[in-house]
Amino acid sequence: MSLEEPEPDVPATVEEQSPDEIAEMLSDHVIGREEHLNAPGYVIRPDAVQDVLSTLKTEAGYDHLSCVTAQEYEDRYESIYHLKKFDDPTQEVSVVVPADRENPVSESADPVFRTADWHEREAYDLVGIEYDDHPDLRRILLPETWQGHPLAADYDQDRPQVVPLRENANPLQEDQRSEQDTDTMFLNIGPHHPATHGVLHLKTTLDGEQVADVESDIGYLHRCEEQICQNGTYRHQIMPYPDRWDYISAGLLNEWAYARAAEDMADIDVPEYAQVIRTMGAELCRIAAHMLAVGTFALDVYGDFTAIFMYAIRDREKAQNILEDLTGQRLMFNYFRLGGVVWDLPEPREEFFEKTRDFLEDLPEALEEYHDLISGNEILQMRTIDTGVLPPEVAKSYGATGPVARGSGIDYDLRRDDPYGYYDELDWDVVTEDGCDNYSRLLVRLREVEESAKIIEQCIDLLEDWPEEDRTIQANVPRTLKPDDDAEIYSAVEGAKGELGIYMRSDGTDKPARFKIRSPCFSNLQTLPEMAEGEYVPDLIAALGSLDIVLGEVDR
Amino acid sequence: MTGAAPLQQGMLPDTIAKLLGLGAFGVAGDVVAALLGAFLVANFLLINTAFAGPWAKRKITAAFTDRIAVNRIGPFGLFVIVADAVRLLSKELVIPEGVDRPAWDLGPILIPFSALLGFAVIPMGSGLQLADPETGLAFAFAASSIASLGLIMMGYASNNKYSLLGGLRAVASNLAYEIPLVVTGISVVLFTGTLQMSAIVEAQQATFVSVAGVAIPQWFAFVNPFAFVLFVLANVAEVGRNPFDIPEAPTEIVAGYQTEYSSVYFVLIYLGEFIHIFLGGAIAATLFLGGPAGPGPAALGIVWFTAKIWAFFLLTQWLRSAVPRLRVDQFIEIGWKGMLVLSFANLVLTAVIVGVLA
Repeated sequence: MSLEEPEPDVPATVEEQSPDEIAEMLSDHVIGREEHLNAPGYVIRPDAVQDVLSTLKTEAGYDHLSCVTAQEYEDRYESIYHLKKFDDPTQEVSVVVPADRENPVSESADPVFRTADWHEREAYDLVGIEYDDHPDLRRILLPETWQGHPLAADYDQDRPQVVPLRENANPLQEDQRSEQDTDTMFLNIGPHHPATHGVLHLKTTLDGEQVADVESDIGYLHRCEEQICQNGTYRHQIMPYPDRWDYISAGLLNEWAYARAAEDMADIDVPEYAQVIRTMGAELCRIAAHMLAVGTFALDVYGDFTAIFMYAIRDREKAQNILEDLTGQRLMFNYFRLGGVVWDLPEPREEFFEKTRDFLEDLPEALEEYHDLISGNEILQMRTIDTGVLPPEVAKSYGATGPVARGSGIDYDLRRDDPYGYYDELDWDVVTEDGCDNYSRLLVRLREVEESAKIIEQCIDLLEDWPEEDRTIQANVPRTLKPDDDAEIYSAVEGAKGELGIYMRSDGTDKPARFKIRSPCFSNLQTLPEMAEGEYVPDLIAALGSLDIVLGEVDR
Repeated sequence: MTGAAPLQQGMLPDTIAKLLGLGAFGVAGDVVAALLGAFLVANFLLINTAFAGPWAKRKITAAFTDRIAVNRIGPFGLFVIVADAVRLLSKELVIPEGVDRPAWDLGPILIPFSALLGFAVIPMGSGLQLADPETGLAFAFAASSIASLGLIMMGYASNNKYSLLGGLRAVASNLAYEIPLVVTGISVVLFTGTLQMSAIVEAQQATFVSVAGVAIPQWFAFVNPFAFVLFVLANVAEVGRNPFDIPEAPTEIVAGYQTEYSSVYFVLIYLGEFIHIFLGGAIAATLFLGGPAGPGPAALGIVWFTAKIWAFFLLTQWLRSAVPRLRVDQFIEIGWKGMLVLSFANLVLTAVIVGVLA
């Protein structure tokens, strides 16, 4: 049951504060003002972070710490806390915390927002800012023994660093947590384990078969995606990379995150026709991604190869085939361009429409089968209901988004709340479940597939009747794109796993000076200990499966 | 309880001794005949396992999951059995550091042999039965239980935490489900009044009811279907198949007690598991499905018997494809709070049925 108040039928308008009101609220903590493209920015004293954030959270209602971006300037370090409201994500503020060049220390936001824990660890790891009052300031993506901070200015990019296993912490730790507590056993789940969905390492302490403590160790798949994007030009060289973050068929959704941020930054208008195609493609990707999530979740709960996994893959394959027809690729689509898409629908168009319609027609029957096999199965219900419980307040504090948040009854979907593309013109619903457990998250995904199908159907209707002379697939975008100097933007789209945000800062050249990815999986994975501690090992695995993480996106 | 012609045609070793004229050699002849008989029966089961493991399991799972599976090597992909045998036996046997050697080696050997031992008393029809002691049923249960010892040896000796968890789970599940299994088995003994396997088969020969001229034999599955369902369920748990496959639980504890085993030992463990499934099916068939009984001449007994144990194998594969795994605590709870109570209730119910029939 949800701990939240039931939503009123008419969406209440969320009280919005003007930038000056907020500045007043924060009074003498503010030492300067900035203007980011998406939100007003307040430069505050580095020792007032907790004060400022808790004021904003409790008094102004900014209850969603979406992302923490850290970067280095010539004269200072800077951490930016991107805040939003779960009730209205269009209301945003950026809290800018400068830190001294020689001794970069600022206060940690962890006591106010639990999600700051990992975000600040990442900032420390990659940029080198230290956070006072942080509960556990260690490296998170790179190995413990790494020298230097790769995104810092003085870092020697050319010096290779080899990290042999023996220099790392011994994976065979002491079995017990302490001398007194001799009943527990330390267990490494992963990095090579059938149920971690990639290279994730869970340091688990077991009490019998119950999980006493679990800590995720990530970074095995860190590929410097942010830095790669900082070395690419806006116009062409960045777009192929988003496909590689969440590589489980969510490619177009990721591309849209970058496209949206860059288009907002450079003020590019996307033709309506291209928006409809984008919307259709993105929802196909969402279906494919959710199918795989459902299939692998079933795999985690059922064990071995079961019918449901193969059925999910079979139906995902149909979506995948349509995407292949549309983009020419199956995995790394690279289909979006700034200002539109790379090419029009495949000819003959009728064939494409028919194929897509066939897929949509078969989908309800397939979903019925899933409900028979999974959600209607009593053993599965025994396994998943009331396990891996994530109360909404906790989910918000951890910045959980996407199906994970919606499974905890949080009515938050950027497609509706911060509309982009063609979503606000179409008729569809945001799916929420109030169970807060593994079962709710499963149901949300299954029902979201239905909603995505609705969206695709409407897009197909629109595209079929679109007048031929009006089919512009790309806006005119300069060959070399150079946004204004010092423009900063943070914008997000609803990816398959949740809020996928991009922060970019321009320095007037054709490459971004800082490119930061806010990965939904990264924030969602952080909630795992909340869900799993006190549960049995099988439920830890089920909770992990219900989070639907992709390590490519967690580690970037 | 007399009916159709007796299905039993003497013990297999006697037949062999008669055929080869070994009777003249006294005890030595008996030993040779017994060994030959055991060799025959063991090979019959190994052949069944060879079909079941690398081929039928894949084909059946594929049919359940909309796939085709092995179809390239030989007719219907049957030669994959040979290819797999070569592949598995030629793999390197990795012996991890710190394993408890004699126990670690004995575990995988114990499992298939305990299962094979159980077959010594099973009447397989067509004269295929090695021995028929008066305590036959008790012997079959006892022999199959030795496997638990192997499981815990493997779990403990592997020096691996996943193995240890798997071994503990195996013991917990065997304890929880062996009792209902045996108690349900005893309910059959209430009917027959004997533990002797041949007598149990014999007792099921009589006609139970005649429907439209078709005589339905007095198989205990028909007489007391409740007991049959209980027995099959407990049996599925006993052999560790879905939804009760928690001792292995690949997504949770990697592979449980068999995590550290490779090559020949891996083959032995798998062999043992499959023979165990067949032994479970064999005991269920003997107790509830009339053993080798079926239409046609008694010589076809082995065919019917094989069909029955394969039906049980098919059931395990079906469950594997379609049913979620229980959590370990739920599993144990069902064993102690559900199955145990039900099996004793069944014992009372059977006593009533016996009273009515007699």
